[in-house]
Amino acid sequence: MKNALALVAVLALLAVSVIGFSGTAQAEEIKMVGVITKIEIAGKDAKTATATLKDNKTENLVVITVNDDLTLDKFKDHRIQEGDEIRCKYEVIDGKNVSKFFRKTAGC
Amino acid sequence: MKSSVSVAAVLLALGLAALPARGAEHPGKEALEKNGYHGPESCEECHPGTAAAFLETVHWKHASKVSNVEGLDPNKEYGMKNRIYVMCNGNDIVNNLKEIPKSPETGKTKFSGCNTCHPGNHLSDVASTGPEAQKAVDCLVCHSSDYDFRQRKPYKDAEGRVVMGQDRSTKAALAISKPTVKNCMVCHEAAGGGVVVKRGFSFTKETDAHAAKGMVCVDCHKAKNHRMPTGLDPNNWATDGLLVSCADTSCHGAKPHKDADLNRHTARIACQTCHIPRTGGAFAKDFTVWEQGSDKFYEPTTLKKEANETTPVYAWYNGTVKNTPHFIGPKGSRQDGKSRITPFKIFQGKAYFEAKTGNLLSMDFAPPMANGDTRAGVASAARTLGMKDPEQVAKNAVPGWQTIYFGSNHLVTKSKSLSCANCHAPNGVLNFKDLGYSDAEIVKLTTPELYLKKLVEKQKEEW
Ligand code: HEC
Ligand code: HEC
Ligand code: HEC
Ligand code: HEC
Ligand code: HEC
Ligand code: HEC
Repeated sequence: MKNALALVAVLALLAVSVIGFSGTAQAEEIKMVGVITKIEIAGKDAKTATATLKDNKTENLVVITVNDDLTLDKFKDHRIQEGDEIRCKYEVIDGKNVSKFFRKTAGC
Repeated sequence: MKSSVSVAAVLLALGLAALPARGAEHPGKEALEKNGYHGPESCEECHPGTAAAFLETVHWKHASKVSNVEGLDPNKEYGMKNRIYVMCNGNDIVNNLKEIPKSPETGKTKFSGCNTCHPGNHLSDVASTGPEAQKAVDCLVCHSSDYDFRQRKPYKDAEGRVVMGQDRSTKAALAISKPTVKNCMVCHEAAGGGVVVKRGFSFTKETDAHAAKGMVCVDCHKAKNHRMPTGLDPNNWATDGLLVSCADTSCHGAKPHKDADLNRHTARIACQTCHIPRTGGAFAKDFTVWEQGSDKFYEPTTLKKEANETTPVYAWYNGTVKNTPHFIGPKGSRQDGKSRITPFKIFQGKAYFEAKTGNLLSMDFAPPMANGDTRAGVASAARTLGMKDPEQVAKNAVPGWQTIYFGSNHLVTKSKSLSCANCHAPNGVLNFKDLGYSDAEIVKLTTPELYLKKLVEKQKEEW
């Protein structure tokens, strides 16, 4: 009985979170180009970091959360550093601007 | 009890199996820790002759003799050092690394040049020779997994010379290994003016079947004395004289499929045609008009796509290359017995052509980068090359387009590889007519007769 109740509770939670998710999935991807003013990353093994970008258009500072391994690695070895201009796409998830695309605009 | 013993045994075996990989610590580490890292000579104690050999390779010279491209002098060397084409339009010579003129709007300058993609220090530049050049090789950019890229940037030394920095710390030298994907991608990822620009080249588990298996560049590009094997990309001329191909017997061989119907195609169709159905990167650039960025500097106007966002063009290719001012691409035909239908990334670039000869001109990026004046870039390049009356050459130069077919050799897929109907349906990816098939042949090549039975079987299996 107890188990069955727990199951119902879990299902209810799932339902809520599914609705919650589809809500965020509809959230639009926001695109911006800006220059990095600050990178904060906690050491070599960090699985997440934040980069503050100054939006070229609005001059607003936007804090971006970066979770993908390739970009994190570029923060760690400084292939991406403060002063670099970045083309970025992000989604607002739980109040955080989570990066979906984070790339230097310039090349060789 | 029994099961926990066997679990322990499995864990132990796993641990042991994992050991060699983990234990692959560089035997020179202790010596480097003790003596510090002072450049290639620190490595040469145990790897003598490496730097001298490196100076002979494409990665140092950015050039080699080229035998498969028409219109070239067989005694001269060609490569990124001196080539003129419209993906880059500059090269190591005319667009040599330097401080560009100040932006009239911000008063700021920056460093720019093609030869930043070189593992030297610029004082010993592309194709330099001798003991100084040997000392300048940046071994760690390819061999360290702990390289600090803040060091790898241009600066002016006390004498005002432009130097390309390197991370020569002992810390970096204590993390030596075979080159990882990252080591190679330091340069290859951003070739042509930004990430994935040149070839749409992304090598991740999402974009490439081999990357998904954990393979790295040098699993295929197995270097010998730092000579790196490459293929026959019509636009990658310089080679170290070693070839790598998917059909190498040490890789897949010419008959890799269980399905004989597929194997029958490999004589006339390159592996890449079925296994690299997409491409990406820049597809058009205009070097005659540059766009201003937020930092007020200018860059060539560029249209680009991500990896796997565009479709290739297909042509017969026998490994030899047509090379004219308006076209660089594959030669071959259905009849020559040597060609295969091969996919290419197509790219078109606009640049200036010499009025008198019709030849493509090159550009020094420094002037246009500062103020958008592209003809000043042409004049500067013409001056560097010793052409007569550079100002006049630039003034009379005629804008025009060049089309380039790039080899498409990464972004490999199994699950999305082309199947029978992708080609043999009437709306298939191949234009049989352009490829030289007669109307009667096309009728035969576009009937479900060829594949209906087979695909029905497959359909049944899938459900
Ligand atoms: C004290 C001797 C010593 C020094 C100094 C030394 N090495 Fe080695 N290195 C070795 C030995 C021994 C091996 C294993 C045998 C071989 O592959 O030649 C090796 C292997 C390698 C390998 C192959 C690694 C692999 O996993 O296949 C590379 C790459 C390498 N060294 C690079 C360097 C570089 C770069 C330096 C300078 C920073 C350097 N070595 C300095 C002794 C040394
Ligand atoms: C310092 C920059 C740099 C690094 C690091 C680098 N490359 Fe290159 N590579 C170049 C340039 C530039 C060219 C083009 C040379 C030319 O065509 O003149 C090139 C050409 C090549 C070619 C074709 C020509 C040839 O030598 O066969 C291959 C293959 C290649 N690189 C593979 C690799 C691999 C694999 C790695 C990692 C071990 C790597 N590169 C690391 C800059 C680099
Ligand atoms: C452009 C990248 C690059 C640079 C720069 C470079 N290497 Fe290598 N090195 C390679 C590649 C690729 C291999 C072959 C890896 C393989 O196939 O296993 C290699 C292999 C080696 C090996 C193993 C033995 C061999 O020859 O295969 C040693 C030792 C080595 N390099 C030392 C050096 C030293 C010392 C320097 C500086 C003088 C240097 N490398 C510069 C790419 C580079
Ligand atoms: C699964 C094997 C494989 C791996 C892994 C691989 N390559 Fe290649 N690469 C090839 C083959 C095969 C060719 C040439 C094919 C041909 O022209 O027929 C090639 C061609 C090239 C060329 C010449 C230009 C072109 O695109 O045709 C460069 C440069 C290059 N590879 C660099 C790299 C780098 C850098 C990596 C790692 C990020 C890498 N390759 C990983 C197999 C591989
Ligand atoms: C006419 C199209 C075509 C050509 C040409 C072709 N392949 Fe394939 N290949 C396929 C298809 C389709 C599959 C997937 C079959 C499946 O899903 O089981 C495949 C599967 C493979 C596999 C995976 C086999 C397995 O059992 O998992 C390898 C490896 C392979 N191809 C290598 C090559 C090589 C190397 C070449 C060139 C010598 C080549 N292919 C040429 C269509 C082609
Ligand atoms: C990449 C495109 C492509 C794919 C995928 C492909 N084919 Fe083909 N196929 C061709 C071309 C091109 C020819 C003609 C080759 C020649 O010139 O000899 C051909 C020839 C044939 C022929 C000989 C027809 C004739 O009359 O000579 C048969 C049969 C055939 N294909 C069956 C298949 C089957 C079955 C599959 C799927 C397993 C398949 N093809 C997949 C392109 C393709």
